Amino acid sequence: MNHVDIQPRIPEPELMYSGHLACPGCGASLAMRYALKALGNNTMVIIPACCWSIIAGPFPYSALGVPIYHTAFETAAAVASGMKAALDQQGKSDVTVMAWAGDGGTYDIGFQALSGAAERNEDFLYVCYDNEAYMNTGIQRSSSTPFGAWTTTTPENHRKERPKKDIVGILAAHRIPYLATVSVAYPEDFIRKFQKARSIRGMKFIQILSPCPPGWKTADDQSIHISRLAVESRIFPLLEIEHGEKYTLNLEPEGISVRDYLEAQGRFRKLSEQDVAYIQNEVDRKWEMLKRQVS
Amino acid sequence: MSKKITFTSIADLPPLVVSMGTTEVNATGSWRYLRPVYHDKTAPCIEGCPASEDIEQYMYWAARGDFDKAWEVLVEENPFPAVCGRVCYHPCESSCNRDHFDQSLGINSIERFIGDHGLEFSLDRFKVAEEREQKIAVAGAGPAGLAAAYHLRRLGYQVTVYEKEEKPGGILQYGIPRYRLPKHILEAEIMRLERFGVEIKTGVQVGKDIPWNEFLQHDAVFLAVGVHKSRKLNVPGEDLDGVIAGLDFLSRINSGEDVSLGKNVAVIGGGNTAMDAVRTALRLGSTPAIYYRRTRAEMPAILDEIEEAEREGIPMEFLVTPVELIGENGALKAMKLQRMELGEPDESGRRRPVPVEGSEYVVEVDNVITAIGEQGDFTSIPEKLIEWGVVKSDAFGQTEQRPVFAGGDIIEQPHTVVHAIGSGKKAAMAIHAYLNGGDIATLADKIHVGNKGGVSFLRFRDGHEGDPVDNHEVVTFENINTSYFTRKDRHQVPELDVKTRITNFEEVKGTIDREAAMDEALRCFNCGVCNMCDNCLVFCPDVAIKRRDDRFRYEIDYAYCKGCGICVVECPRSALSLVPEGK
Ligand SMILES: Cc1cc2nc3c(=O)[nH]c(=O)nc-3n(C[C@H](O)[C@H](O)[C@H](O)COP(=O)(O)OP(=O)(O)OC[C@H]3O[C@@H](n4cnc5c(N)ncnc54)[C@H](O)[C@@H]3O)c2cc1C
Ligand SMILES: Cc1ncc(C[n+]2csc(CCOP(=O)(O)OP(=O)(O)O)c2C)c(N)n1
Ligand code: SF4
Ligand code: SF4
Ligand code: SF4
Ligand SMILES: [Mg+2]
Repeated sequence: MNHVDIQPRIPEPELMYSGHLACPGCGASLAMRYALKALGNNTMVIIPACCWSIIAGPFPYSALGVPIYHTAFETAAAVASGMKAALDQQGKSDVTVMAWAGDGGTYDIGFQALSGAAERNEDFLYVCYDNEAYMNTGIQRSSSTPFGAWTTTTPENHRKERPKKDIVGILAAHRIPYLATVSVAYPEDFIRKFQKARSIRGMKFIQILSPCPPGWKTADDQSIHISRLAVESRIFPLLEIEHGEKYTLNLEPEGISVRDYLEAQGRFRKLSEQDVAYIQNEVDRKWEMLKRQVS
Repeated sequence: MSKKITFTSIADLPPLVVSMGTTEVNATGSWRYLRPVYHDKTAPCIEGCPASEDIEQYMYWAARGDFDKAWEVLVEENPFPAVCGRVCYHPCESSCNRDHFDQSLGINSIERFIGDHGLEFSLDRFKVAEEREQKIAVAGAGPAGLAAAYHLRRLGYQVTVYEKEEKPGGILQYGIPRYRLPKHILEAEIMRLERFGVEIKTGVQVGKDIPWNEFLQHDAVFLAVGVHKSRKLNVPGEDLDGVIAGLDFLSRINSGEDVSLGKNVAVIGGGNTAMDAVRTALRLGSTPAIYYRRTRAEMPAILDEIEEAEREGIPMEFLVTPVELIGENGALKAMKLQRMELGEPDESGRRRPVPVEGSEYVVEVDNVITAIGEQGDFTSIPEKLIEWGVVKSDAFGQTEQRPVFAGGDIIEQPHTVVHAIGSGKKAAMAIHAYLNGGDIATLADKIHVGNKGGVSFLRFRDGHEGDPVDNHEVVTFENINTSYFTRKDRHQVPELDVKTRITNFEEVKGTIDREAAMDEALRCFNCGVCNMCDNCLVFCPDVAIKRRDDRFRYEIDYAYCKGCGICVVECPRSALSLVPEGK
C-alpha cells in the first residue's frame, strides 16, 4: 500500500501526556484526552478530589499540557467561578475554564457549589466524568450509582434500591445555556460538543459516562464496547439541552436490550430477571419522556 | 520523554507548588502483561480465491476510487480480471465474512469493473524483473498456459506459447459463448500479454507440429492442453445425424460457423457445457431442454448458469437418462429415456442415480447434444506422465519428469478458469525455483495465502523478508467488530431482460458503474488489514499510539502502553493482536 491522504478524524495535537496514572482501560483518561483536543491549549482545568487528582500525576509532574488547579472535593464549581473572575480581571477572558469532577464531587458533595454557579450562570464549563461511584477511595456508592449496582457500600445482600439521580434533569431545571451528554465511544460527537461548549458564554455542563474497569468489574479492553452498549440500549442517551428547553437527541439507536449492557459488567451480576425487566421498563419510560421533550 | 526532576534542598523547591515536568517520566509500559501488536492477517476471500487475488487490497483502492491502483493489485496475481469478472464462479464470495452480516461482497462485479477499467484505459504497466536468457515453452493457450506464461515473463524468461487452434484462449475462446464472454474482451486481455513480450504461436500442435522431443529442448516446459474430448453416451444410435458433441457444438458456434438445429433439441448433462449448449441452442431459435440423470442439487454447473437457464425458460427434466437414440434413414427422430432414482452416495459424494425398471418413455427430438463431461486426449503426452486420466503432478504442477510442469484441467484439480489460472501461477514459481537450483516446496510457507493451497506471487517476488505477518491466520467473522459497519444490500448487476437476450448473442450481464463499484467496495470489511481508520489511535487512553512519521500506519510506544487491549478490540478488522508479554 502506498501513501494516502490522511484525514484525521479528531484534532491531532495531544494535550495529555503518556505516563499518567489511570488504570488500564480507564474511560476517564480517554475522556480528558478528547476534551483537551477539543478545547485546545488556552484552557485551565480545575480538579477536585477524585481519581483524576491521582491520574494527573504527583508534583512536580503533570499529565496535562495545560494548567491544572487541584482543589478540595466539594469546591470545583466555586473555584471555577473564582478562577474565571480572576482571569476576567486580568483581561484574559478568552481562557476556557473547565471544572473536571467525578460523580461524587458533582452529584453529592460538590452539588451545592455547582447549583449555585449554575444559578448565577457563571461562564465556565463544568464536566462530570461519571463512573457511577467513588472510585478513587475504593468503589463506594454515590447518588449516581445506578439501581442494583454492586459497590463496596452496596454489597449484594444490601444493594442499592434507589435509582441514579437525574443530574441532567436537575441542571436543565437551572436553565443553563448549554448541557450535553457524551460518550467515549463516540469521539466525533464528544469533540463537537466540547467545541460547541467552548463557544458559548455562561454555564455549560457536560456529563460523560465513564467506564471504570475495576469499579464496574469489566475487562480492561471493554470500556469502549460498554460505552457503546449504554448508548445503543438507550440507558445513556446522547443529547444536548439549550437553556433548559431546547432538547436535541444526537443519536436515535434502534434500542438493544438493556440486558446486553448489564450482562457485560460484573457489578450487575446478581440482578434477577425481574430487576432486568424493571430496568428495561424504566429505560423505555424515560426514553418516551425524552422523545416528548425533543418534539 | 520528560526529564526526571530532583530537588536536593529546600532551596530547589519552587515558591508555589507548580509542576514543571510531565508524567512521561512514568514508564507505565511496565504495568503491561499483554502486548498489542499490529498484525495483518489473511482475509477469507483471498484464501477462497484459487488465484489468491489480493481482494482486500484492491477493495481498499476501489473504495477510494483509485481503479488504476486496484487494477495493479489485481493483476499482480491474475492477468485476466475482465475475463474472471465475467466467468468465474467466485468462491471468494462464498468465503466472504460479510455474508454473515448481510450479504457477501459483490467481489466478482467489482473485479469485472476493475478489469474493464484496465482495458478502457489500456493499463499495462507490467514490469519484467530482469531479462533472462532461459527459454520456456508452454503447450496450450488456455487460461492455465497463459497465466503461467504471464508470470514467467514477469520473472524475465523468454516464453513461447504453442496453441493448436487458430486462436488463443482455450475454452474461453472456443467453449464459453460470447453472450457470457464477448470475444473482444478475451482478445484484449490476451493481446496485453503479447504486448508484454509473451509470444503466442497458434496453429501449432505440440506432439505433432513440434515433436515431443524437440519441445523438451527448452529450459522448462509447461503443459496445459486442457480436456476437450466429449464423453460418449454409449447408447445405440449415437452415430445418427443430428447427434452432436457439446463442446464441438460450442466450438463451431464460437468460430462463427452456422450450425443449423431442428426444433426439439435435447441437451444431455448438467455441467457448464450443458448449460452453455442449451442456452446457445435457445438463441439459435430452437426449443431446447435439459435432461439430467440426477437432480438440480447435484448439477455440477455454476449455480448462476443454472439460474440463468431457468430464467430463460429452459425446461429441465431431472432423474432421466437416454437409453437409446432412435433414427429414421440415418437421421435422429426420437430419444428413449429411462427414469432414475437416487441411491447410495458414490465416490464423488453425490448420490448415485439408479435406473427404475420399466420406466422407459420416448420423446421426439431433432437433435441431441451430449454434454456429460470431457476427457483428456493425451495422445501427444508421454504415457509415463499420466495416471488415472490426469497428468500426475504435485501441488506446484511438477511432474515426475524434469523439466516438465503441468496445470489446468489436465491435472487433478477442479475444472474452473480460476483454478487453471492459479495452477499456471504455481507452476511459474516452481519453474523459476527449478531453474535457479531451488525447490519451491521450501518456499511454500512464505508464499501460501491462508490454508487452502493458494500462493501469492507478490510475496514470491518480493520475498517479504522479515515481514512479521502471520500470513496464514485467516480472519473469521467473529474477529470483526461489526459496531463499525452498517447493514447494506449488495449492488445488483445490470442484465438484459430475458425477452431480448434470447434472440441474440449480446452479453447478458453488464458491468456496474463507477459509483456502484466504489460504493460496493466500501462495504468491504477489509478483513485483517489495517486501512488506517484511526480507531486504535483515537481510542488509546494512554496516548501510546502515534501515526508513523511517514503518516502511513501507526506505531505503539511500548514505554507507556499499559496493555489495556482497547485498540485490539476496537479495531474493526482484526489488524491488531494481543499477545502475552515476554514471549
Ligand atoms: C463449455 C464450458 C464452459 C465453462 N464455463 C466455465 C465458467 O463459466 N467458469 C469457470 O470457471 N470454468 C468454466 N469451465 C471450465 C474452464 O473453462 C476450464 O476449467 C479451463 O478453461 C481450463 O483451462 P486450461 O488452460 O487447463 O485448458 P483449456 O482452456 O482447455 O485450454 C487448453 C488449450 O490447449 C490447446 N491444446 C490442446 N492440445 C494441444 C497441443 N497438443 N498443442 C498445443 N495446444 C494444445 C487447446 O486448443 C486449448 O486452447 C467451462 C468449461 C466448458 C467446457
Ligand atoms: C471532603 C473530602 N471527603 C472525602 C475525601 C476522600 N475522597 C477523595 S476522592 C473521593 C471519591 C471521589 O469520587 P468521585 O467524585 O466519584 O470521583 P472518582 O474517584 O470516582 O473518580 C473521596 C471520597 C476527600 N478528599 N475530601
Ligand atoms: S469483507 Fe472484504 S476482505 Fe472481508 S472477506 Fe469480504 S471481500 Fe474479503
Ligand atoms: S489502547 Fe493504548 S494502552 Fe491500551 S493496549 Fe492499545 S496501545 Fe496499549
Ligand atoms: S483500528 Fe483501524 S487504524 Fe487501527 S489497526 Fe485497526 S484498521 Fe488500522
Ligand atoms: Mg466517581
